[in-house]
Amino acid sequence: MKKRSVLVSIVGIVLMLALTLTGCGQTTPTTTPTAEKYPTKPINMIIAYTAGGSSDIQARIMQKYWNKYVPEQPWVFNYTTGAAGAIGFGAVAKAQPDGYTMGGVNIPHMILQPMGQGAQYTIDDFQYIAQVVNDPQVIAVQKDSQFKTWQEVIDYAKANPKKLKVGIVGTYSGHHMMLLDLKAKTGIEVTQVVYKGAADQNAALLGKEIDVMLGNVNDVMRSLENMSVLGLAANKRSEFLPDVPTLKETGLDLVSAVQRGFVVPKATAPEKVKFLRDSFAKIQADPDYLADMKKAGQPTDYLTGEEFDKYVHDQEPINRALLVKFGLMK
Amino acid sequence: MLQIILTGFANSFIPFNFLLIIAGLTGGIIIGALPGLTATMGVALMVPVTFAMDPISGLIMLGAIYSGAIYGGSNSAILINTPGTPSSVATTFDGWPMTQKGDAEGALNASLLASAFGGIVGTLFLLFLAAPMAQLALKFGAAEFFWLCIFGLSTIAAMSPGNVVKGLISGALGMLVSTIGLDPLEGAQRFTFGTYSLVQGIEVIPAMIGLFSFSQVIILVGSSKKFIAEYKAKKGATVRVAKKIWKDMKVNLMRSSIIGAFVGILPGAGGEIASIISYNEARRWDKNKANFGKGAIEGVVASEAANNATIGGSLIPMLTLGIPGSAVAAVIMGALLVHGIQPGFKIFTSTPELAYSFIISLIVGNIVMVFVGAILIRGTARVLNVPTSYIGVAIVSLSIIGSYTIRNSITDVMVMIFFGLVGYFGGRVGLDTGCMALGIILGPIVEDNMSRAISISGAEGSIFKVFFTHPISMVLIILTLISVMTPMFMAKQRANKEG
Repeated sequence: MKKRSVLVSIVGIVLMLALTLTGCGQTTPTTTPTAEKYPTKPINMIIAYTAGGSSDIQARIMQKYWNKYVPEQPWVFNYTTGAAGAIGFGAVAKAQPDGYTMGGVNIPHMILQPMGQGAQYTIDDFQYIAQVVNDPQVIAVQKDSQFKTWQEVIDYAKANPKKLKVGIVGTYSGHHMMLLDLKAKTGIEVTQVVYKGAADQNAALLGKEIDVMLGNVNDVMRSLENMSVLGLAANKRSEFLPDVPTLKETGLDLVSAVQRGFVVPKATAPEKVKFLRDSFAKIQADPDYLADMKKAGQPTDYLTGEEFDKYVHDQEPINRALLVKFGLMK
Repeated sequence: MLQIILTGFANSFIPFNFLLIIAGLTGGIIIGALPGLTATMGVALMVPVTFAMDPISGLIMLGAIYSGAIYGGSNSAILINTPGTPSSVATTFDGWPMTQKGDAEGALNASLLASAFGGIVGTLFLLFLAAPMAQLALKFGAAEFFWLCIFGLSTIAAMSPGNVVKGLISGALGMLVSTIGLDPLEGAQRFTFGTYSLVQGIEVIPAMIGLFSFSQVIILVGSSKKFIAEYKAKKGATVRVAKKIWKDMKVNLMRSSIIGAFVGILPGAGGEIASIISYNEARRWDKNKANFGKGAIEGVVASEAANNATIGGSLIPMLTLGIPGSAVAAVIMGALLVHGIQPGFKIFTSTPELAYSFIISLIVGNIVMVFVGAILIRGTARVLNVPTSYIGVAIVSLSIIGSYTIRNSITDVMVMIFFGLVGYFGGRVGLDTGCMALGIILGPIVEDNMSRAISISGAEGSIFKVFFTHPISMVLIILTLISVMTPMFMAKQRANKEG
């Protein structure tokens, strides 16, 4: 009796393992003929960051409006996290180009990771659908900080090399590039303190673990009453922070931002790419969508697929130059 | 304030909301009980469902799922020695031995009652002490987190008295495993052997599923037992256990809940750390220390009260400062933002009904959880009546599905199987899976904070200053020393008595 039940369980387990390992490893080949109206099944939306983060929230808002304009098929969210987004971006690049996998991407992370971290994709592995957010970086300090302008921060840093603690989120990220750019343009030496996420970084600034924080508008909005934003690294002032001067208008030509957009694998059929681009354009034109984004503190800035593609390729040599200058190219 | 609290109560009992509480608790408990499905996943899955509701109902539902899931993890921890969520690792230490001794029901009911109590205490902190506790959370910097985790790891030394070396080696191996991947400061690759799939590191959950459930399956299949354990349903178990806990374990309950609430406020520190520290403290102050690890109900109570108390704690910085105290709190914050509500102190002044209804619903939810949980226990405990062979197959399928769904990566399934083998063969040479799991969970937090503290010391001028001079760090260091020296001291005392 005992021998048989052991046999049953072993056979069962082996069968289970075999089925799942082969099944999970495959990707289903498309059998949809191109004559059918796309989309005919739900679309996988790969989010490369954790649930609840800025990228997720933005995609959720878009999802609400996608359901309005393309009610036939919903999005199914897949959180494929790791390596500051590189894993998720790589997953989109390698997905079946059948128009049923799409992913959210962050610039400049997507540009930097192949150069600095050996990521398994390049910016040429994607077709660009649209850019939806342009979130400029800011220089922020505690409300009661000794620094009242960003010039004071720079002056302090020059007088006290390595003593200023500057917090950023992640290396090979937008904040990292801004810090490198800042160091290149002002010649200051600071202590770089790296955090895994905006929440930890915000907590660190409020708890006075760091003196200055390079953050995004969206992240700073949550704790605004406890912080003082000294400068915005954009070409014009932000509607969310109308009293904050841009670095440009106060003497420092520094523009640095994180952009968010959506892409599909490179080989996706052109008519499907066009459909997605048109759908995103419709969402972007919807005033309710824009109102929701504003309420959530997400700075919208729409670029069409072609414009987004061009932007990414234009940024690549700029970022490359910064990495080379600081010896961070791999 | 009293008026808005009453409004909050009223909102919880609106039929639709009350139904959401029950549905959320049930769903949450089941998700928590299934190894591989975590509270974060459960809450994240249900966020889109809240879009169609008004924010108050949506939050009430998410809160109920959160509470249910953190409690639910204890079910599988007790019944099949597999923590359903990382917060229930410490529950396996005494929950599983209790099942083996035939008292699964006692363990399950104890964990239910302790969870409800802890949840309520955590929420009371949120209700009355949110502001000061949020300020306390901010005072925890890199060095303080580092020492907190070292304190958590010191439980290893005390966990297996007589076998401290093996426990330490297991913990160290766990920490070594956690270094696979990218280093937190520079992004340099370590132990990836050139394969990109290891660059993302070893995910904690597949490793734990492997260490605990997969290895357990191998053990079960190899054993000659037809069933996992003896189980006979006894009437009135819940009430009996409640009386016992109330009589003997009030201090334990209170202390564990307070530990949970405080650990919960720290972003990045959650149920896992809280339950381990609370377990250790429960053992330290108990007269019959030796019973811990062999089936002491006090251990289950300590672990579960603490991990549910972290729920209220984690919501404190989220609601007051917009800084989530846990991954689930982050998802809930995301839901708030999509609904157009900015977290921050403003929540209490401009949308008080929302804030207080949510908080009160957690209290109501915890009370309702006792009833919902008691009913579900009758179902889950029946797992013990299913022959081992079927259980084995079920666990394997759940393990695979659970590992895969985390981020759709077959690598995670491989990791799970690998750790299953490590857990099985390692167990035979004395490897302590609990200690190893602790190492895997705490390792990244220790390293991340240590590296950051060292980089901060570059600006402060001295490493010593950063690590050893801040008040909170000193308190934690002293606690760690006490924690490590107590077992040695006790062993010496025992030797003196006998000698």
